[in-house]
Amino acid sequence: MKNALKGAVVLAVAATLTLAGCSDPGAGGGSSEPADWPAQDADLSGTSLTIWAAQNSNTVPDSVIAGFEELTGAEVEVVTIPDPYEQGVQTKVATGDKPDLAFWQPTASQLTALNAPSNLQPLDDAPWLDSYDPALRDITGLLDDTRYAALISTPAVEGVYYNKKVLADAGITELPTDWDSFIQTGRDLKAKGVTPFYEMGGDRWATQWWVQVQLADAAADGLWDRVNAGEETFTDPTIQGAIDTYDGLIQEGLFNSDIKTATFEDQGDALLAGDAAFVVQVGSFFGQLQAKADTAELNENIGFFPIAPSGNVGTFIPDQSNALVAFKTGDAAKEAGARQLLSYWLGDGYQDFVDDQATVSLQPDVTTPDSVPDALIASSDALADSVGSMQALAIANPDLYIFLADMIQGTKTPVEVAEATQAQFAELAKAQGAPGF
Amino acid sequence: MVPARTGTTASERHPIVTTNLGLSRGAARLEGIRTTGTRRRARQDHPLWFLVPALIVLIVFFFVPTVFNFVYAFTDWSSFKSAINFVGFDNFVTLLNSGTLLTALRVTLVYAVLVAIFQNLFGLLLALLLERDTAVNRAVRVAFFVPVIMSALAVGYIFQALLKPDGALNGILSAVSGTTVDTAWLGDTTWTIVVVALIHSWKWMGLSMLIYLAGLKTIDQDMLEAARLDGAGYWATFFRIKFPLLAPAVTFNVATALLGSMNGFDVVQATTEGGPGGTTELLNIFIFRTFGQGLFAQATTMSLILFLVVAILAFPVIRFLRKREDVL
Repeated sequence: MKNALKGAVVLAVAATLTLAGCSDPGAGGGSSEPADWPAQDADLSGTSLTIWAAQNSNTVPDSVIAGFEELTGAEVEVVTIPDPYEQGVQTKVATGDKPDLAFWQPTASQLTALNAPSNLQPLDDAPWLDSYDPALRDITGLLDDTRYAALISTPAVEGVYYNKKVLADAGITELPTDWDSFIQTGRDLKAKGVTPFYEMGGDRWATQWWVQVQLADAAADGLWDRVNAGEETFTDPTIQGAIDTYDGLIQEGLFNSDIKTATFEDQGDALLAGDAAFVVQVGSFFGQLQAKADTAELNENIGFFPIAPSGNVGTFIPDQSNALVAFKTGDAAKEAGARQLLSYWLGDGYQDFVDDQATVSLQPDVTTPDSVPDALIASSDALADSVGSMQALAIANPDLYIFLADMIQGTKTPVEVAEATQAQFAELAKAQGAPGF
Repeated sequence: MVPARTGTTASERHPIVTTNLGLSRGAARLEGIRTTGTRRRARQDHPLWFLVPALIVLIVFFFVPTVFNFVYAFTDWSSFKSAINFVGFDNFVTLLNSGTLLTALRVTLVYAVLVAIFQNLFGLLLALLLERDTAVNRAVRVAFFVPVIMSALAVGYIFQALLKPDGALNGILSAVSGTTVDTAWLGDTTWTIVVVALIHSWKWMGLSMLIYLAGLKTIDQDMLEAARLDGAGYWATFFRIKFPLLAPAVTFNVATALLGSMNGFDVVQATTEGGPGGTTELLNIFIFRTFGQGLFAQATTMSLILFLVVAILAFPVIRFLRKREDVL
């Protein structure tokens, strides 16, 4: 046994020494030369490309892939990474596993989380950039002035989805024009026995929108730059105040009575059924509504308006289904193939794509199909003058929504929510080596 | 896993090699069994190099990852940059200063204790109910063992669906009681941890049952007959004879349930994801969340702390349980 023990010790020491010289297996390969952009129809026979997608985005590329495979002879495979998607992808990339392309939230914080400069291909001179609506071209996808993500659909906007019939029945004809009138409308509805607001405390993730829309004006004024620099914190009056207000509204009884357990699905059902008047949500909520009702019914019943303290200003939050990133895999042919697929997607394949997905076009030359519901167009119209969300502008994305859900459950006070969020933000910022942390 | 003990003399009943469920050193000593003196023969029968294949597997899949776990805890490994630098005890200081780690540890301990109690209680009850070898009992034993081989995540999602406010359980309760029941079984900040511990125990009680059954089988029928002749009823037989003789099975079951559920993750992740309000956030869920944020070194530090806590807990618990076996 003694010899075996000795052997084990030797191996352990060897392992430790190997580790001492360790490097991150996720560190990128590939060159930093400016990329050339192959023609959209260049022959790719024998080349196979892999796209990572989440459960809610894995059918998004269908029409594009079909067109691209026919045009170029390439083989494109979509691999679904189980939810939570972002964690799964980050873990795989950290251990050296990379696809050619992946759906990815094109915000600075999420690009940082993938270590974009070493893992992703820069897309600075992409041929499709000039086709974008100029107001949307540079809205997101950039990290330190380098473009790493290709936006394929309009980013989600945080705002208010409302049931038109509930408002009409309550005699409300004017939509709220700013935060105060929005809350006042809620109180009026409550007085008439209608549940004004619906929140999904059980599924947690939407809790943060109520806080973020209140911060829109501050965000326009550079709030997140100050937070990023460590000059302002979540516990300072601006963000703490928004959390306190949200808590106050819940305590006031303006939300659904099952706020602690309600789920995302419940929220959609409640708004469609008219059990509540307003839901503060993002684009994926409308996707949920589309799964439950057809365009005509949605146009008749559901509307959207952006909201901020100062007026009808939206807060945009691109998500994973809005954009793709191309990885540096070290295989020049595949890297070029990935760029070519993106060129096709946002080039000759784009009209098919927006028609197939019934989504709003980002390019003035490509028409939005008639099948797109009004509320989605309203949400997209709000985009041009919207401000960035925490996810879009902060360097890190702390679990604010979990802490807010804890507050709804009663296990955290509003002050503890801000403290926990700040502590996590500081830890993430420190890990990134951000100055000031 | 259970030593056969069907012979009549002490040395036949108790093989010299002690196993997990075999005798403790103390018990062996009490019965006057020599536990040494077989070295030379063993060395000839089983040359040391026979160990090499197993040792390689052990080192590659268990030893090296554990060493990695120790090393990375002292670095700043994250998803944000390629370089990995040593930072000393920085991660430990940050973690210990934040209350979240202690909260998660407390939740984990409560969960582990609840699972250990429920799983053993259910397992023992099932074993006693299904002790006789009838055809029905054999079939029912298989039925109760099925959850053990099911995927823990699948079990979690099934229960999540059953326990929803508009789920099947409330539907049945409503039908039986005649009033609408819409209890959120997984939405209570005090009791949900008990519910998820029950689900975990439900999944694993078949294994405990099996081990208790095996333990019951080893009990000498003569002894039970003697007790019967002395006029002992069912409960007296159970408490004075069966339960004390089940000590090795109790040791194994309690230790594996307690220490195994310290590492619990899947059932809770599938049912509550640590909610409501963080009241079921086990340390492993906290680790998963931290890892998902890209803070790999911090997550590694936490898993090192979990490893240490489990190790610190394991020694006294197993020592205490083995001590109980000395009466055998």
